[in-house]
Parts: sequence; structure tokens; C-alpha cells
Amino acid sequence: MAVQPGLLKRLFRDRDVGAVYAFAVLWFCVVVLPLLCIIGFSFLQSRGLRVVFEPTLKAYYTLFVEAGAPVVARTIQVCVTVTLIELLLAFPFALWLAKVTKNRPLRLTVFLLMLVPFFLSPAARVYVWRSILATEGVINSTLVSMGLIDQPVQWLLFSEFAVHFGLIGQYFPNMVWPLFLSISLIDDEYLEASQDLGASRFQTFWNVILPLSLPGVVAGFVFTFIPMLGDTVVPVILGGNNVLMLSSLVTSYISSLNYTAAAAMATFVLFALVALQGMFVLALRPLGGIRQAFASLGR
Amino acid sequence: MNAAPHPSFKIKATTYQRQNRALALAASGVGFAALFTLYLPIVLLFVLSFSSDPLSGRVPSLSLEWYEALWVSDVFKVRDPLLLSLGLGLLNAALCATSALLVGRVLPRMKRNAPLIFMFLLPLLVPGILLGAGVFTYYRVLIGVKMGLWSLLLAHFMWAFPFALLCMLIVASRFDARLLEAAADLGASRWQRFRDVELPLLKPGIFAGGFFAFLLSFNELSRSIFMRSGELTLPLYLWVQSGGRSATIPIIYAMSTIVALVSIVLVFIAVRMMFPKER
Repeated sequence: MAVQPGLLKRLFRDRDVGAVYAFAVLWFCVVVLPLLCIIGFSFLQSRGLRVVFEPTLKAYYTLFVEAGAPVVARTIQVCVTVTLIELLLAFPFALWLAKVTKNRPLRLTVFLLMLVPFFLSPAARVYVWRSILATEGVINSTLVSMGLIDQPVQWLLFSEFAVHFGLIGQYFPNMVWPLFLSISLIDDEYLEASQDLGASRFQTFWNVILPLSLPGVVAGFVFTFIPMLGDTVVPVILGGNNVLMLSSLVTSYISSLNYTAAAAMATFVLFALVALQGMFVLALRPLGGIRQAFASLGR
Repeated sequence: MNAAPHPSFKIKATTYQRQNRALALAASGVGFAALFTLYLPIVLLFVLSFSSDPLSGRVPSLSLEWYEALWVSDVFKVRDPLLLSLGLGLLNAALCATSALLVGRVLPRMKRNAPLIFMFLLPLLVPGILLGAGVFTYYRVLIGVKMGLWSLLLAHFMWAFPFALLCMLIVASRFDARLLEAAADLGASRWQRFRDVELPLLKPGIFAGGFFAFLLSFNELSRSIFMRSGELTLPLYLWVQSGGRSATIPIIYAMSTIVALVSIVLVFIAVRMMFPKER
């Protein structure tokens, strides 16, 4: 934009910028500070609602060694598996959406379809799966009445299968969005050049598309994995008591007044998050950094 | 993309094209299958809410009894949670739209805005349950204040503001600052420039942000679990009800159907506002 800097400065004088900084300070104190304090808090101990200011690793001991360990391990295992499955499902779809289909109305419909579920309350629609997957549910009663099985299948509900299944549907859009963005940033000419030079489809995919869409892969991993770690609904409704995950653990820590253990869990996830974010930023660097990726959004 | 192939390459080209088509079909098929599993429950929710016996596997008969029960039932007292959620949603929408306007109109023009943007978008990157638990611990245990409506509103604001800001930034980054320059040259005052130039052009972002903030607040569950004292929002209420294996499940289906339909309409309106049809 060709605006004289002096005039611009005059137009957006200190008052506007001042308001932004005032809001930023408020935001920091009310939102960011609590999140930072949680990290420090996880090294303390609480007795009821009183805090004992004495550094200790007891919370982490509770979390990783005592009852927490299997739950943390299971949560990570389930979330990594589902995220990888999402990646396999979403990558071809995002590629198709970004580079193959020229059908604009279809594309817009898919966008809307991927946007809407984000704003719908998950509890009721996950609950619906119960009437489909239960022992007396739709699938089992159909299979039994068709004579394909004698006994209703038990592992459909309240099992790791059910949790995986529920999560895959729920988090599919989270994976498609970033992949779609990064793939649509790839210049068509690169693909043509690769084809003209005699590369096979697979070679073009492996040597051109995949490396250039890596930022999207990392972003997709973050946007799918992080919210999934804290999913409140799917593990409880579809996993029942058989598949306890992180959110149930946090809830039970809080309700048993073990605040520091909850804080330790939050800290652990926050650190995982920072590590993933770092990977994300590093992966974006070859493409000119985050700013470039954002600038191309407006195009 | 490519020029039409020379006639002598025709056979090879068609084979290639056929393979392309098969791959595209497979890729889109997988995606649509995933979207299907996402939408099947929503459609079923809708269908089951009209069924007289939604929890059995049997073929049911149509009925509107659950919708009737929604308003009549003494067991299922949905009115208070509904009103609370509506009120919270509207208040949150107003707060988010105002703050997003305040911040978003200036942010794109500030130098070194990346750390600020990151700070504002931070709650998007923290899993909801941990954000709720963390902020609860800070206020309740470290500072020692009681949870209540204020903290519920704070939780919803923290969650919705980043989205409202994103909507605002998308619109504000398309805003041509030269228009303000022109208005200033024509003698418009500071307030006139804001009211007559900036506000009309930023309106889509303000309203879209407000709509999204309302929806996110209205359907918010995992952050609200800790950030309340006794208040029941609608999602919390539905969540509590679906936890007990009670006879209220069909009514939950009916209620969720209504909420889902209204949400879908609002999302459509918001998206249409943000991305008006290009002419």
C-alpha cells in the first residue's frame, strides 16, 4: 500500500494504539497470566483451598508414576493414532479440494460442511452413536437379524475402538483446513514443471507436493492433536469407564481438590504444545515464515 | 492448466486422464466418507427427535411428543439454562465484537504485531478442559475468589475473542487505509472518519465475529465445567442429563435438533457476511 508513513502515523495516532496496548495488558493479566501461573503452581502443593509455598515434584509424581501414568499413556497413544489416521484420510482429500476439483459450488459446500460442526454442541450428536453402536443398537440388531452373527458384538461401544471412531469423525475438519491452505499455496507451475520433466505422479507427490505442504502437515497435527488431548465428550460417552482419558483425569483431580496434579497435567500439555509450535514455526521457515502464509490467505 | 494434447498423444492422454479421474474419485470419496460420519449423527439426531421410541433399535412411529414435552415437562426444566445461555451468548457476542473492533482495526497497521496476535490467539492453542481447569485453579485457589457468572462469562470471552479477532483481521487486512487519508483530506473529523468510512467497511467483520462469538458461547461445554459455581448453561445441562441414563434422552435430542438448526442458519449468515459473493 502506497501510503505516506507520516500521514498514516497522524491518522492512527497514539490513542488507537494506546487502546490496543491497554486491552493487551488487560488480556495478559486476565488470560495469559493464569496460564503462566499454572506452570509455577504445578511445582507446589495444595491443602484444600490453601497453597503451601514449598517447591515439590509431588504433583508430577502423582501424574506420571501413580494413577495418572496409564491414563496419560493411553491418551497420547489414542490421540497419536487418530491424528495419523486423520492425516492419511485428509491429505488426499485436501489435495483434491485444492488442486483437482474445479467445481466452485461443490468446493464452497465442502467448506461450509467442514465449518458448521465446529459450532455445534458435541454432547448430543456423540450420544447418538450410542444407539447405533450399543449391544442392542442398530448395527448389532441388523447383523443378528441378518444371521451374520449369533451374539451381539461387544467391542463396538465402551471400547478403544469406539473412542477412535468417534474422534476420527469429530476432528476431520481440523486436519483438512491447514492441509488445504498449504497445498493451495503451492504454485501450479511447479506441478506442471515436474510433469513436463517426466516425473511420475508418485514422484511429483513425493518430491514436490509433500515437501511443500509440510507446514500444513505440522499445523494439521497441532490443530488436531491438541484439542483432541483435551476432548471432554467422546471418551466419556463412547469410552465409558473402560477408556479413561485426560479430561476425566483432570475432572477427577479437580473434584478431589488435587489442584496441583491438574496443574501438572496442564503444564505437561502446554510444554508439548510449545514443542509442537516450535516445530511448526521451523517447518514454515523454508516458505518464508508465518507472515507469508497469512498474507497468502487474503489472496 | 495444460494445453490440449496433440492428437497423436490422444490415447496416452486419455489413459492418464482416466487414472487421474480414478485417483480424484478415491481421494474425494475418502473425504466425503469422513464427512458422512461427521454428519450422520446430526441427521440421526434430527430423525430420532421425531421418533416415539428413539432409544430402541425398532422401527419407530413419528411423533412430536418430545418437542411438546420440552415446553410442558416439569422434569425437564430447560427454560432457565436456555435463557442463561442466550443471555451469556448475547453479552459475549457484544463484548467480543466490540473488543475485536477496538483491537483488530489497529493491529494490521502496527509494526511487530506478531507477538500481540500470538498472545490474543493463545487460547485457541490450549485444550479446552485444561484452559478451564487452569484458569479455575488460578482464580479459585491462588487468588481465592468465588466462581460465578463473571467467571463463566470470562471463560466464554477467552474462548470466543480469538475467533472474533480473526474475523476482524480478515476484513481489516482488506481495508484500504488510503480511504481514511482521502476522508481526512476532504476535512472529515476523526469521529466522522471512523463512523462514515471505517465502520461501514468493517461491518462484516464485526457482525461475523459477533455471530461466531454467540455460537461458540452458546455451545461451549468443556471450559464451562469448572468456571461456574452453580449456574447451568444449556450445554452443561444437556451434558448432565445425558450422563444419567434417564428418560430425558429423547428430549435432549429434540432440544439439540433445535439448537443445531439455529446454529447452522447463523453460521451460514456469518459466512455470507464475511465473504460476500464476488461479482
